[in-house]
Amino acid sequence: MGKLQAFLATAPGRFLLRYLVALGIAFALMALPPVNERVVKPYTTFVAYEGAFFLRLFGEAVSVKEQILSSPRFAVAIYNGCNGLEAILIFVCGVLAFPAPVRRKLPGLLLGFVGIQLFNVVRIVALYYTGVFRPQWFSTAHVLVWQSLVILFAVSLWVMWAQRYGTAEAR
Amino acid sequence: MARPKRAKAAAFWRRLRWSLPVALLLWLIFRPAYNTFLAFAAEKLCRLFENPPATRVVVQEDKAVIGRDDMRTGSGWLGYSLTQIHFNLIPALALILALPGWHRHEGWQKLVWAVCILVASHLLGLVWHVQFFFATSLGPWSGANYGPLARNLLGFLQYLFDIPLTFTLPLLLWAGFYWDQVSELVGLPAAGTARS
Repeated sequence: MGKLQAFLATAPGRFLLRYLVALGIAFALMALPPVNERVVKPYTTFVAYEGAFFLRLFGEAVSVKEQILSSPRFAVAIYNGCNGLEAILIFVCGVLAFPAPVRRKLPGLLLGFVGIQLFNVVRIVALYYTGVFRPQWFSTAHVLVWQSLVILFAVSLWVMWAQRYGTAEAR
Repeated sequence: MARPKRAKAAAFWRRLRWSLPVALLLWLIFRPAYNTFLAFAAEKLCRLFENPPATRVVVQEDKAVIGRDDMRTGSGWLGYSLTQIHFNLIPALALILALPGWHRHEGWQKLVWAVCILVASHLLGLVWHVQFFFATSLGPWSGANYGPLARNLLGFLQYLFDIPLTFTLPLLLWAGFYWDQVSELVGLPAAGTARS
């Protein structure tokens, strides 16, 4: 117990505790039905429209209905867990919990959000084409490759941000 | 100070390029045996609390097929992707192996602990899937054996293990077990430095 208290008195200990609390609150909020209806679902629909926008640039005749993105060639349903929100929460909570001034957190949050959005669009477009050309690989690509990459991307972004802004001032 | 930090960062990015394929390879090698173990252990764990024991969890390709021995043959069986449950071993291992000096200061021991925690989370994740399926998808049998409170609790546990823990455990274990190296990497002072 004393060891834990001593650890929590250190900068990494305080960071980890704040991070855990922030993640707990964020994921608990996301699980609430009103938040799911008013935030998660509309956001997921927005992600589907984003994906459709980029796929149309490649000449795909895609349409969006709620969280389903479809064309005569293939259709993908974007569920909670595929919308990039988890990666955003991992990054945002990491930034919020990190001991840095607010003026350094704000641009980090903004750029990180945009970066993860772009990464998620790449994921959706890549998965769509995997489904079109190699449907037998879709499940592996979806679960194994892209979910792992999205976690690593969020952590990497946070590490990059913290390295850049984890200066003497931040301590 | 900035230069060593940058050098550590560069080493981390360099190592991540090979640690990810290594983690993937290890996962691919152990996946068939791990799938069998998870299904076996989840079945045993569920049966511990049943009288008579009737839960069945069998592996079919990548799926855990979940059902009950005491139901008609044609009644509900659920196939659930085991990869969805344990893919997070890959980012967790990749992050740990990418840390410069991860093996120092009982690093191997910490790695074993981190993997054990992940395995426990996978096992419990599968158990909640089994229980949630029984509580909600077996028609009148579900209604007769699970009340609204149990269904809500199981729904919450399934969600907790399905999304929040699956996505955040790799990062939490990485930062929690290797905080010395992670602190160095991101520029926090060492954990021995208490707030003055």
